[in-house]
Amino acid sequence: MRSFNKIGLLVSAALLVVSSTAFGAGFGLFEQGAKATAMGGAFAATADDPSAIFYNVAGIAQQHRMTVIAGGTGINFSNQFTGDPTDAFTSGATGHYVRHTFVPPNFYAVIPIGTNLTAGIGVFTPFGLRTNWQDPWIGRFVSRDANIKTISVEPAIAWQTSDGRLAIGAGAEYRRARVVLARNSTLPPGTVNVNPFAVRFIDVASAYLSSDWDHAWGWNAGVLFKPSPTWRIGASYRAPMDINFTGDVTITQISTGNAQLDALIKPGLPPSQPVTTTINFPSIANIGIATTAIPNWDLEFDVVHTGWSRFQQLKVDFLTTPAAGFTRVQNWKNVNSYRFGANHPVNAAWDVRFGLLYDKTPQPTVNVSPLLPDSDREGASFGVGWHNGPWIVDATEFALHFKTRGTMGISSADNNFNGTYRTDANLVSLNLGYRF
Amino acid sequence: MTRIGSFARIASVALAIAVMAAPGFAATGTANFKTLVAVGDSYGAGFESNSLNVHHSIYSWPAILARQVGLSICTVGSSATDNCFAQPIVSFPGIGPELQLMDISTYPPVITNAAGSGAPLNTTFGRPFNNVAIPGANVADTFTVTGTDATPARGVQQLAKFILRGPVTEVDAVLLQKPTFIAIWIGGNDFLGSATNGTVAGLTSVADFTTAYNLMLDKLSVSGAGMVVGTLPSNPAAVPFFNTVPTVLINPATRTPVLGPTGQPITLVGQVDGTPPVGQLLKGSFVTLPAGSLIGQGFGIPSALKPILDPTNKLPFFGTPLPDSVILTPAEQATLTQRISDYNAVIVAAAAKRNIPVADIKGLFDRFAAGISVGPFRLTSDYITGGIFSLDGVHLSDIGYTLFANEYIKAINSGYGTHIPVASVSAFMQNNDPATKMASGAAAYPGMMWILSDEASKGLLQMFSATITAPPATRRHVVH
Repeated sequence: MRSFNKIGLLVSAALLVVSSTAFGAGFGLFEQGAKATAMGGAFAATADDPSAIFYNVAGIAQQHRMTVIAGGTGINFSNQFTGDPTDAFTSGATGHYVRHTFVPPNFYAVIPIGTNLTAGIGVFTPFGLRTNWQDPWIGRFVSRDANIKTISVEPAIAWQTSDGRLAIGAGAEYRRARVVLARNSTLPPGTVNVNPFAVRFIDVASAYLSSDWDHAWGWNAGVLFKPSPTWRIGASYRAPMDINFTGDVTITQISTGNAQLDALIKPGLPPSQPVTTTINFPSIANIGIATTAIPNWDLEFDVVHTGWSRFQQLKVDFLTTPAAGFTRVQNWKNVNSYRFGANHPVNAAWDVRFGLLYDKTPQPTVNVSPLLPDSDREGASFGVGWHNGPWIVDATEFALHFKTRGTMGISSADNNFNGTYRTDANLVSLNLGYRF
Repeated sequence: MTRIGSFARIASVALAIAVMAAPGFAATGTANFKTLVAVGDSYGAGFESNSLNVHHSIYSWPAILARQVGLSICTVGSSATDNCFAQPIVSFPGIGPELQLMDISTYPPVITNAAGSGAPLNTTFGRPFNNVAIPGANVADTFTVTGTDATPARGVQQLAKFILRGPVTEVDAVLLQKPTFIAIWIGGNDFLGSATNGTVAGLTSVADFTTAYNLMLDKLSVSGAGMVVGTLPSNPAAVPFFNTVPTVLINPATRTPVLGPTGQPITLVGQVDGTPPVGQLLKGSFVTLPAGSLIGQGFGIPSALKPILDPTNKLPFFGTPLPDSVILTPAEQATLTQRISDYNAVIVAAAAKRNIPVADIKGLFDRFAAGISVGPFRLTSDYITGGIFSLDGVHLSDIGYTLFANEYIKAINSGYGTHIPVASVSAFMQNNDPATKMASGAAAYPGMMWILSDEASKGLLQMFSATITAPPATRRHVVH
């Protein structure tokens, strides 16, 4: 009973510390445990700690002691937008995100039931996005701030054969999410193009869209197979999910400094009103192969396939004045990331770990924008594990480089914002665990 | 780190060489902007809204080009030894009364001359100005008009006096500086004065234009400097001075055409091509901005409509045809357009002969006529509201000159293999630049007769067909 109370407390704490990051291929977050992150996320065929609930749920079947781990990943960005020197709007412009450390939390517990069955519960943050541009930001007509927060709770169960060679598992994922979007509006095309008194471009309004916390249910399943004492194969699938959001948009007129002009603009602004939108979250399928053929080394290679082609658009419907609604075409593609990880026990208490990854972007060049400037990523990680008696500590440093991404002068008509995005991220993951 | 650092140094040096001193791949001379100079006219001077003043001359296209190649613009406090781009500096509200939009809540909107007067502030600057563009100058003026000419021919010399500041021409003043690069846009005044007076009389002949343009370039070529020139706009529909006032009678209250007894719009009466030379304006005619005030007094409205539209004799000139001077007939346009095309052929040929890149200003104005998108903004050649032109309807706005300068940058980059970044119109986002506000004015500048008078501005606005929502007028001109 005492243990379950502790778990309940940790779950509550994790739910309060909700993540918000601009990170993971597209806005996926694959850093849901310090050990797996240290191995570059190549963990489907290892899955030997409670974070298996995220990486390959079948893996909890091989864990025969009740274990609780909790932690998070601190993410810091260093980014810069540089305008296209051939573009008469963005030339010479720069911008970057507001400095902020994002800490997506995680919590997992596994509870063996008999010898072949293990139950577990996980709390993690499979998706997240925050692109909050520092003012003054000339891309504010496309996006000033975009924030997608998620938090998932997943009860899971897994079973393995008595010889331990085959395990299967499944879980039900309850995902809560919220969306915040903010941008400014200028004069609509086709009427008055500028403030005619000063012949200057003007911001006429800000739009702040904030959804409620809405939710959906999904599922995932995994399998882990050990064909020989030194080889393991793991595969996992997390189902796609659509979350329908309701919320409100607040439209605030920005004074042009001229009362007459403000009075002319005012009737043309849509009122603050209820809105709806839907985010189509992708499926995630990963398959990994691992070996201990080299003594004292555990090596794994994974391919993670994310079904981002479901993310075709971000469409916001305005319920009072439908004409004011907008659609941002995304047209993302399904992509693979390639992950390699190594775990090397140094002695009974210490492990050292390394990882490498290459993560393809799902985003077409034409749709790269301040809302979410994605790109291919290359990452390298290093971590240590310490275990002494019931205690487990995993710590990881992970450097992620986003390849320089330019719009090549073909930014889509609804953005028309050309330039180059440079991004690097540094992640520090820490998990504390207790084995009962 | 050391290796990265030295690579960065090498890269930056390479970039500097590429930008500042790249050998011309196609063009004669080099793109070295150490001593950049400009030859030109009112556009080069940054003339806007009937005024030359420091608020806008800092956005003349040569000044924008100078900034983009890394030069600073000289201020009143600059000395002759400062490595800055020098221009004449006229205090606000300028020489020429800067037109100001004062009120759009009333109908018609109110445009007035700014109050007060501006004066040249840097007449004693210790070297010739880098930018010696003189409002009103045509091609021949660049090597004939000096700063000490006693008898002004077209008013050009009044400004030449404090821009050239001595017995030198634009070309002389440029050569005195041993320029490394010469940016040239000239030729507009070889036709503009005629066009704005609704005539083709007074156009420079093609032969004279050819001689003058080539002579100017020959003189400038002596410097060995890199050069760039530009073509001339040939589409009146791209210019608010011509595209604003419609050829049919407009109801000021609804800003839609007044319908006659047959249910058709009422075409104004004035100059036509043919015999008799006066009649209903031909389809495709342009009526110039100053006609606005004339129509407001009854000019151009068919006399047969007087009993219906003006029974109480409030319009003193009702039924009087619009004068020729405010109408460009289709035949006049054809002549004008052909002449400008000929000028452009001369410019292109003269440039090709000397391997000088040509900025596509004609193409830019054609795009103005269609409307262009820049980032989140739409820009059109609409009067007052379009964003590209200033309130005189002929000269550009700060935004318009930026787009103009960018055509020069593109031509230089293409001709010399440089990578000069274009200038951004984001400099004119009001919320980034909240201090911008036009104010006060000066005595009328007599040299630019074709520029809209204050009275004409007001009259014009009765015809103004912009889509700004305004209170309806009390009087209606609808014919049943």
